[in-house]
Amino acid sequence: MTPDTIAAQGKNDIAADEKDLLERPVFSFRFQIILGFFTFFILSVVVTVGAMITINQIEKKITTVQTWEQFLFNIEQARRWEKNFFLYGTNLEDALSSTTEAQAILAENLKKFEGSSIPAAKENIKKHLDLYHGKLLQLNQLVKESPDHSIPRADLIENDLRRYGASIVGDAADLTAREHDLLFRWLQLVQRVPAYFLVFLFFLMIYMTRFLSRRFMKPLKYLVNETRRIARGDFTPVQPLRKFRDEFTTVEVAINRMLRELESRQNSLIESHKLRAVGILTAGVAHELNNPINNIMLTAHSMLDEYDDLTKDEQIDMITDIIGETDRSRGIVHNLLDFTRENKATYDAIDLGSLVEETTKLAKNQARVRGIPIKLDVQPGLPPVLGDRQKLKQVFLNLIMNALDAVGQNGLIQVRVRYHKLNYLSVQIEDNGAGIAPDVLPHIFDPFFTTKPVGKGTGLGLSVSRGIINKHRGRIEADSKPGAYTIFNVILPYYPGSANE
Amino acid sequence: MNSPEILLIDDEPIVGQRLRTGLEKMGCKVEVAQDPKDALAKIRGKRFDVVITDIMMPEINGIQVLETVKEANPDTQVIIITGFATSELAREAMEKGAYDMIAKPFKPADLRGMVAKAANEMGFTDIKE
Repeated sequence: MTPDTIAAQGKNDIAADEKDLLERPVFSFRFQIILGFFTFFILSVVVTVGAMITINQIEKKITTVQTWEQFLFNIEQARRWEKNFFLYGTNLEDALSSTTEAQAILAENLKKFEGSSIPAAKENIKKHLDLYHGKLLQLNQLVKESPDHSIPRADLIENDLRRYGASIVGDAADLTAREHDLLFRWLQLVQRVPAYFLVFLFFLMIYMTRFLSRRFMKPLKYLVNETRRIARGDFTPVQPLRKFRDEFTTVEVAINRMLRELESRQNSLIESHKLRAVGILTAGVAHELNNPINNIMLTAHSMLDEYDDLTKDEQIDMITDIIGETDRSRGIVHNLLDFTRENKATYDAIDLGSLVEETTKLAKNQARVRGIPIKLDVQPGLPPVLGDRQKLKQVFLNLIMNALDAVGQNGLIQVRVRYHKLNYLSVQIEDNGAGIAPDVLPHIFDPFFTTKPVGKGTGLGLSVSRGIINKHRGRIEADSKPGAYTIFNVILPYYPGSANE
Repeated sequence: MNSPEILLIDDEPIVGQRLRTGLEKMGCKVEVAQDPKDALAKIRGKRFDVVITDIMMPEINGIQVLETVKEANPDTQVIIITGFATSELAREAMEKGAYDMIAKPFKPADLRGMVAKAANEMGFTDIKE
């Protein structure tokens, strides 16, 4: 990426982010909760309707079983009368009526049984019942025809009756037993299903709770981390966590708006802080500027006074001096103006060494007033960093001015520019001043934190500096031993295009 | 006829170059130093009548020069050149016995007048601006 594209990208990022966030499909938590409850509801309906249908079936089954039992009762009754007839010659009429009853029951319910009973040899029962009934009628006929009760082939008929009767009773009893069995199984099912459903519901609820709470907790945790990042001064917009839009998207959009607001405030803070630095600088610059002006004045006066006595070479020397000193003045003014000038944030490839040198020059005037030497040591051949010249100058100037405030008699400020660990350069500003107490050290980058007397410091210098350095994807560290030294280390990534050759 | 011995100290070389001619024309013997350390050595080694020193110089400042001069020879007059005069600095210089102060940028004639006055007071009556 070139510096230009980065700058252009910065402008579009904010609007694009918001658009990106708001254009995602809506899948709100409200909807998710409704969906969850709806699933529960549908499940409950399925189970309830299933139970109702099953209970209805059981009801029918009970009727079926009762009918079969009634049928069985009639047949067994008929067989008892039949036995009586063969033993005592009585009750044949009763046997006939019981059989007719059974036939009626079967005839009436055969169709119904087709739907409700298990498939079985019902036809067989009917056939044998009809045969049984036929034999009884035949027997009855024979009884009527022979008043003396001597029935021819009575044992044959008895055999047939017994065979048919036993078959009917066996089949019907078997059927009844199986119906009973089935009924019992259904009842068991009806009992168990709600229990199973409850267990299932329990696990489903646990899952839903975990799922939903995770859906809530994850973005919450994410936002908490994001606010920490923002608190460190990194104002890059919050990136959405999900592909769709939910309530957290609204929060993210709000945070991003707040970030923009914060950033613009930070920028005006930086600006006002810069102006304050300019005020301090002016004193030093005035002094610095007086030297070349004095030189020009002295030279011009000398020329005026001694014009006729001067050789041509001397005249040229003096005019060259005047031009040289004018140039020097321009340089001093330019350096200050370069720092003061309000400019839009532009990222250029910067030679960190010369930038620090220019900054040191700005501060040197001030340092000279106080008689404090500033030693600059730049490692040669460093790659450029990508950054905003003015803002970086402001940071280094702020750190050097702080160092100037910290040192007393025999103060010494050392500025070093060199390679840091991989892909980073560092600017170290070390002073041998009072140092920073260990309990104060962690707070020095907090906004409005100051150890200077009221009215002297805003407590914003280091906070603003850290904001600027964070924007450059760098960091700023402080190390101090009270009474010995304080080192501020500004670590900046160098321009990726110019990797270390 | 006696000529006053003058030492001119300023880390700006042009100052020495331009002032020297004018002061010599007045009848002074002028020595110029750019490095204040050399200047201090000269002060310790020789008696000057007037020392003119810039106040803001690397490592050694004008106040230190003033102190050394007064230590070596209390009679020597010291004129302080300053780039950025603060009242504090002026008071300190005057308290420590400076003869006068002059702020940059100044006209050579003004400094010459100051030197002539100091020389006259010291008895070099034939020194005129």
